[in-house]
Amino acid sequence: MALINKVLPGYVATLWCQTGATPTPLTPTQLETWGDVDAIVGVSAGGLGGGGIQVPVEAVPSFGADDAFAAYSIAGQRTGAKITTQNQVTSLTVTAPWNPADTAQLLIREDGYSGTIIRTYVVAVYDGTNTVAYAFNARIGGMQWDMAPDAEGKFIFTIHPVGSNEYGWSNS
Amino acid sequence: MTTQLNPVDYAQSIQYQLAGIVNPVPVYALFNRNFANQEKFLTWQLRDVHQPVYTGQTQNNKGIDTPIFQVSVFAQDMSDSFNLSNDILQSLHGYSGMFGNPSTSGFWVSKIDAYWLYNSYDNELGLHQVFMDCTLYVPA
Repeated sequence: MALINKVLPGYVATLWCQTGATPTPLTPTQLETWGDVDAIVGVSAGGLGGGGIQVPVEAVPSFGADDAFAAYSIAGQRTGAKITTQNQVTSLTVTAPWNPADTAQLLIREDGYSGTIIRTYVVAVYDGTNTVAYAFNARIGGMQWDMAPDAEGKFIFTIHPVGSNEYGWSNS
Repeated sequence: MTTQLNPVDYAQSIQYQLAGIVNPVPVYALFNRNFANQEKFLTWQLRDVHQPVYTGQTQNNKGIDTPIFQVSVFAQDMSDSFNLSNDILQSLHGYSGMFGNPSTSGFWVSKIDAYWLYNSYDNELGLHQVFMDCTLYVPA
């Protein structure tokens, strides 16, 4: 299959996670292998499904790596110098319309209270034919339920990737 | 995951609810000048049926519906128009519960926000008018 070659609207992105109370997260090699990731991504986003479940989020937040660098001022030079340093994986603060019975939200709630469960998450971008996937292993923190009265209730939580090399890009 | 209620249910429930509040004053879904020779009456219009849509291919990944119906109160006597409007305000503003006929198309609203927009007078028709917006917050 070909890598998607077009500019896409943000609506094409979905968030998926492994099922099960005590999942076995994918290895770094598996995280960058579509043949392993596709079981977590559902059929509606071009995956096979069966091993994952969709997290119903309002929007998939920015993901990637934080910016990090060291700055130096060097006598005699007109400008200082910047050297990139080992940066951290970006945490994803996610807002989901809260449904108390939603299976994915219940899993994430349990992970958040556990604090130790590492689960594989996948951001899938699907153009109707092909899928690009960013898979990573993460824990859950910072859960809040916001019941402001002028809209639906929100379940807000933060996905903290474990970092290191536990992420991978793949495509169908 | 959210479902969309049928706007027909909204329409039937608005008619049912308003008719119950101002009975025996007639309530109409849309304005018709033929009705203008009546001493007092109401019309309503439904708008802004909309659930915010969220990301992904799953159609029911949406927020709640917050439809608005506008109520137009007409009366030859100004105090009648204000009193009818007050009846609606007192009955609907802040209301939470069954909206419409519970045995047919009625549904549960978590809150109704009634908003008196303005009053006016139509010299040609000889009718005082009061316009109100009522927002329904519908969990579904």
